[in-house]
Amino acid sequence: MEYVRTKDVPTRKPPMNESSLLGWLKINLFDTLFSSVLTVLVLTAIFFAVKALWIWGVSDGVWVAETRRECFKISLDGACWAGVFAWLDNIFYGRYPRDELWRVNLGGVLLVIWMLPLWLPRVRGKILVGLSVVALYPFLAGYLFSGGEKGIFMQVMIAAAIVGLAANIANAVTGYFNHGSLSNFIIRKIGKSEAHEKQQRNILLAILLFALAVAFIWQMSWTEENVTWTKWGGLFLTFVISGIGIAAALPGGIFLALGRRSKLPVVRVLSTAFIELFRSVPLITVLFMATTMFPLFVPESFQLNKLVQVIIAVCLFYACYLAETVRAGLQAIPKGQYEGAHTIGLGYWGTMGLIIMPQALKHMIPNIVGTFINLLKSTTLVSVIGLFDILNILRAISKDTPWIGLHKEPLVFGAILFFIICFAMSKYSRHLEAKLATGHRN
Amino acid sequence: MAINDNRKETIRAKPAEKFNFFHDERVRSVFYQILTALVVGWVAWFLISNTSGNLEKRGLSFGLDFLDVEAPFDPDFKLISFAVGEDTYSRIFLIGILNTLYVSFLAIVGTTFLGFFVGIMRLSKNWLVSNVALAYVEVIRNIPLLIQIIFWYSVIYAVLPRIKQSLDLSMGAELVMLNIRGLYVPWPVAGDLLWMTFVALAVAAIAAYIYRNWARKRQDKTGENIPTFLPIIAMLIIFPGLVFLTTGSPMTWDVPKIDGFNFTGGASLPRAFIALLAALIFYHSAYLAEAVRAGVQSVNKGQTEAALAIGLRQNQVLKKIVIPQAMPAIVPPMISLWMDVVKNSSLATAIGFADLVAVYMQTSLNTAGHAVEIVGMTMGFYMFVSLVISFFLNIYNKRVQLVER
Repeated sequence: MEYVRTKDVPTRKPPMNESSLLGWLKINLFDTLFSSVLTVLVLTAIFFAVKALWIWGVSDGVWVAETRRECFKISLDGACWAGVFAWLDNIFYGRYPRDELWRVNLGGVLLVIWMLPLWLPRVRGKILVGLSVVALYPFLAGYLFSGGEKGIFMQVMIAAAIVGLAANIANAVTGYFNHGSLSNFIIRKIGKSEAHEKQQRNILLAILLFALAVAFIWQMSWTEENVTWTKWGGLFLTFVISGIGIAAALPGGIFLALGRRSKLPVVRVLSTAFIELFRSVPLITVLFMATTMFPLFVPESFQLNKLVQVIIAVCLFYACYLAETVRAGLQAIPKGQYEGAHTIGLGYWGTMGLIIMPQALKHMIPNIVGTFINLLKSTTLVSVIGLFDILNILRAISKDTPWIGLHKEPLVFGAILFFIICFAMSKYSRHLEAKLATGHRN
Repeated sequence: MAINDNRKETIRAKPAEKFNFFHDERVRSVFYQILTALVVGWVAWFLISNTSGNLEKRGLSFGLDFLDVEAPFDPDFKLISFAVGEDTYSRIFLIGILNTLYVSFLAIVGTTFLGFFVGIMRLSKNWLVSNVALAYVEVIRNIPLLIQIIFWYSVIYAVLPRIKQSLDLSMGAELVMLNIRGLYVPWPVAGDLLWMTFVALAVAAIAAYIYRNWARKRQDKTGENIPTFLPIIAMLIIFPGLVFLTTGSPMTWDVPKIDGFNFTGGASLPRAFIALLAALIFYHSAYLAEAVRAGVQSVNKGQTEAALAIGLRQNQVLKKIVIPQAMPAIVPPMISLWMDVVKNSSLATAIGFADLVAVYMQTSLNTAGHAVEIVGMTMGFYMFVSLVISFFLNIYNKRVQLVER
């Protein structure tokens, strides 16, 4: 009698769905008869849709032509992309003077450079980098884009922005090459790392003031030709409005959300009323309100231009939406976190700033970015009240004599552009949330 | 005795809390509230005084008198009659509200159907189907609504034929005509006795309601499953139908006919209306699909398994276990989406459909002035709708919460 097996059991095949393409197909596409029929139907539909789009957009599409008539001569049914390409500069920059386009490009490049350290893992002081982008970059970019005369306040802020940019780049370089933060690096280089903390701070302050003075003197000789806001347009204008909107609406939304959850009845009622007021009306009515009523709201000597009115409206409107997003995040924080913060002696702002907000915001990243995406999409509404944002430029192509009647192609181009931007934003926000997740989410 | 004394001693030994005026929490909270109220009050006063000053300087008056002035223009689309030079701005306001509600209602119905359809596609086990739905959702959600509206508007213009070559959607019967100007459909004209049919319909509805409640109670008591869906449908169709026929079919159809360069008769939906409706339905259905998917996925898988284990069939599991538990998670986002539909219908302005914003906030504001009043009234309407909707949402939430485990 033998109970011990002498031969190996033949290895069984792995389950079908994990082993082969066929198995995967069987399980995911042809599981039941109904499923198979669906698969075939959907495949046919996709085939015809893609084929039609391909013929219209690519194989019959006209890429080089002078006028729409010429497009028709080459292909009657194809897309006339030539019209879109002829207007590409307008789509991106609006009526910005063509000789000055480098200013817009430089502004964009500066923003990228300024924000790049946020993605470099070894760089220190990321919060300062982020704050400086919001607080200083707009002044530098604002002057770069609009030019003209500078007031004294503007001059100071531009100098500060230049110093901020330089310090940011230097900090990124020292951080990237493992020399720690910029301030540490300077202290070490001048051999004061043993000195008293106060002395170190004074040295750094002196360097900062010196840099500010140099920057101030330099910027006095820096002048750019004035480009009024009416010449701004296209994607550039869309980005200006949504950029300022995002930068201003997030802090506004955080404060409104805190106000709505406040223990002080007056603060709570006022915040709630403000939030609900703006959330219950369409953005377009707020924009109309901004252009028709803001002029009545302020003294006659102090009239805002349309762009500023629109930006204020967008900021107010989306601050309220963000407030609700942030509030949802705050509600998800367990009470123990508040109590823990109180136990270690933190006051209201300490609790909120150090304990609650960092957790809440981290959880809310996809939702906050979702609101940002909505904001970006909604800036197309400014075309209704007559600003030449990207949508209005796209619509203007069909009124341009050589391209008269060209409606579809510009809109499709705009749709693709928005899709790429918004889709990338939402995917990145998911990635960011996963990266920042600390694993003990309640 | 000694113990008592001891305790007194300890109490006395405890340092008395010092009252510091600046560090007392109550004093601070009152102070901050007064400060907030003062700041907000000052801002409000600043805005109001500026506004009244500016109005005075420009020789404008504040008041709703302009509502009784005749409006010098004719809205393109209206559900009630309007006579230029006779009817006033108040009627324009009413026309705008009705148009907004009309397009919103149709869009909400369409969104709800399409959204559930796409949401169920998203949940399909078939990889291809669920990914097609995903692609639809992602593409639609990441393109601005306004671009979609204008896109449909211009596609309709490019694709549809001129009036003379109108497309006949009723297979040669020339009843439903589609052309570059819009969609033309026959419209019912009520006869004398039509009201009896409506009465019959109401009676049938009440009867159906009673029948359903009876069936439910009976099932709770005896466990007997009484079919409700088909009998109710039959009740709602057969009884009013019989009444309609016996009263001699008191309804005729007003059929659209070509008259020169345009159609007359019937009802028409202009191009802008169709484009707006299509875009609103597509756009919001993508959001609703996500809500439906999230709601259904929020139901614990164990519920389905347990239901199958006690012998329910697949469709019973859906109807009696999954959907009732998913609805509380789906309905609140769905209702706020309905609110979004109402708000977003205001984008009609961009393509010239005569909704409230276009006809009142834009055209009337340009012809009559009175910015403050008109903006206030328009915003007030949307706020009112939002209040009504959130009122019903609250009622629903309360009911659902009671039922919940």
